Amino acid sequence: MSSTTAQSGLARARRGLAPGGSGGRPRNEDLNRKSKLSGQTTRTFFWLLLPSIVLVILINGYPLIYAAVQATHDGSLIDTGNFVGLDNFTSVLTSPAFWKAAQFTLLFTIVGVFGSWGVGLGLALLLRTKIPAGGAFKVLLLLPWVVPIVVSSTAWNWLVATPDSLIPSIFRNLGLGTPLFLADPHLAAVMVMVFKVWVSFPFMMMMTSAALASVDTTVYEAASMDGATKWQQFTQITLPMIARSTYISWILMTIFCVNDFPTIYLLTGGGPVDATTSLVVLAYRSVFQDFQTGHGVAIAFLMTLTLVIVSVFLYRQIRKSSVE
Amino acid sequence: MNVQSEASRNFSRRGFLGLTAAAAAVPLLAACGGGSSSSSSGGTIKFWDMPWATPAYNDAAKKITESYVPTGSNGKASYQIIQWNNFYQTFSSAIASKTGPAVSTGGGFQAFQFEQQGQIAYADNVIDAMKKNGQFDDFLPGVLEPFKSDKGYVAVPWQLDMRPLWYRKSLFDQAGAAVPTDWPSLLDAGKKLKSIGAVGFATGSGAGNNIGNHLMIMMMINNGGGVFTKDGELDVMNDRNVEATEFLLELVSNGVIDPAAVSYTTDNLDAQWKDKKKAAFGMYVLGLPQRVGDTSGDLLVASPMTGPHGDKATLAFPNNIMMYKNTPSQAASEAFLVYYMGQLKNLWQQKLMNALPVFKSITELPEFASDPNNVKIVKEYQPIAKTFAAQGTTLNANLAVLDGGQALNQFSQTILTGKTDAKTALTAFQSGLQSVLKK
Repeated sequence: MSSTTAQSGLARARRGLAPGGSGGRPRNEDLNRKSKLSGQTTRTFFWLLLPSIVLVILINGYPLIYAAVQATHDGSLIDTGNFVGLDNFTSVLTSPAFWKAAQFTLLFTIVGVFGSWGVGLGLALLLRTKIPAGGAFKVLLLLPWVVPIVVSSTAWNWLVATPDSLIPSIFRNLGLGTPLFLADPHLAAVMVMVFKVWVSFPFMMMMTSAALASVDTTVYEAASMDGATKWQQFTQITLPMIARSTYISWILMTIFCVNDFPTIYLLTGGGPVDATTSLVVLAYRSVFQDFQTGHGVAIAFLMTLTLVIVSVFLYRQIRKSSVE
Repeated sequence: MNVQSEASRNFSRRGFLGLTAAAAAVPLLAACGGGSSSSSSGGTIKFWDMPWATPAYNDAAKKITESYVPTGSNGKASYQIIQWNNFYQTFSSAIASKTGPAVSTGGGFQAFQFEQQGQIAYADNVIDAMKKNGQFDDFLPGVLEPFKSDKGYVAVPWQLDMRPLWYRKSLFDQAGAAVPTDWPSLLDAGKKLKSIGAVGFATGSGAGNNIGNHLMIMMMINNGGGVFTKDGELDVMNDRNVEATEFLLELVSNGVIDPAAVSYTTDNLDAQWKDKKKAAFGMYVLGLPQRVGDTSGDLLVASPMTGPHGDKATLAFPNNIMMYKNTPSQAASEAFLVYYMGQLKNLWQQKLMNALPVFKSITELPEFASDPNNVKIVKEYQPIAKTFAAQGTTLNANLAVLDGGQALNQFSQTILTGKTDAKTALTAFQSGLQSVLKK
């Protein structure tokens, strides 16, 4: 088929003509009837969807609008207060506490995402192999994700909080001193991140396991026959084949980490001396402890905006890499 | 090689962005979201109460409420427990939506916060009624005054929370130390106790634990200082506060205060007090022996310490019952509150309360007076107790910011880590308070 013929065929198809050119134009009354039907269908869909639309607006729209009002006022949870424009945002953005919390949030997120992914990937690969009691092992590995965070944070507190707790005692018995895991600002930050990885790796493990299950094993057989080593198979086959799922799990875990309140608040309360205060903890403290509602909501707004921008950017990158 | 599963390819961009936006909006919704509320029922006085003690307390309080027999056209009363978790949000959203209580207990400074927002009904008529029925004269000295504002009584006190000093006798005997009576003897005893592996001045400032914060203020007022002047002006940098802070830092540097105290939750502190070899002395909550399940008589209340300038004081929180403007009838709210105040003795007779009563007659009940710790607290601590407002005497909404706010918490954590000097820490404390206190 020449290009002229192909273009002509596509043009005919777009116009709705039969290949032989004998289709003719649809009659006006047919078009009108279709248009009327289409209009009726649209209206029906609209009325059917209306309750859901209203519900979504009420559930999401109203709090968002109200939050915008609070962020631009100096009031409390009861009283909106006076309009202050962008003063709350200016005050937040010039506050050292905000930038310290932002820095910790960034570090917490990076460690939380890649730490939990690394552990989750390793265990997902391990679970692909035939190990005894693999099912029970899998259930056990899911426990950190399943157990309520209040319970696990209490357990972790008892493991590390005092010099006589189990982990510091082990360190002491090994002659490594008595680390104060929650009292030392640097160690507390490390401990919160380790706790986050522990809580989150089962999610990453499940995401990765699902992605690995969709990989065709014959690809590995072919690669083996071509002489590829295990490492080459992992880096050249496994990782690329689960890349899309991996990127998506990274984005989701980024959102989970940035928004994570209980992991930090229950273990350290954001301390000592703000060493583990993330943006969401700072927002909570501003609203409910300092009663600075406008400040707290402004912090939350900035977080939301940043998260949406980062997520959209990352998703577009994924789309781009997939197309390429 | 770029192999993708069908499922991956079908993942919708719009769906993903929607999910992302929804998840990203979580902090925003959390920051501005409302709490629970209950609908108003015509004529019934809604009484909201907090879990002040064990569930048996709430059962008894509910029984008292439901036993109320109104007179005339006044409505009956209903009882509802409000959990401490996010309680301010719960009250705020309910009050904003006009579905809040007519009468409630709550946070120590809650009445002043809601008064500032025009939501509180003054209790002057209740006080007048208590003058007539004799209860007014039964109040312990100094418990009512903090609630009197220029416009009237903001709330009515019903129990006193306090921070006495406790000690474990057996540990002092073992260390050959005397129970501290002043600051130098606290340092000496602390060193001796440390040598046997005990904690000389137990405290904590970890997640959700305000004891460390209270200790900072207690030591300041024990030295004649405090965060406010008599006129209610901020006064953090006074010499007495500097001296108290320097002493606290000395206790930290000598290991008298546990080096890990900065991270201790109330559970950690309870465990230390329960452990017969650990916490030997410290400021803690009322009813410590019952709290940790050690009523052997080894945990005792120490006498208040004397500060370097002869001052004696501890910290008290007069918990109160407040009335709101959103009520079916103000007269009905007042009648219920007068009735409820008259029934309080039941709670102490049943030994349901750890807090101190506000009425002298209740302190004389055998059920209360049979505990020597209670008697000592009423006799030695109640007369010298001061609120967060010290050196001022009247409570106000700003005290809520001091009590639970970031400035005091950061200050106490800085002191407990010991990596500062007094003036630097106090300057940061003052600056933090100035930025959040309402002028």
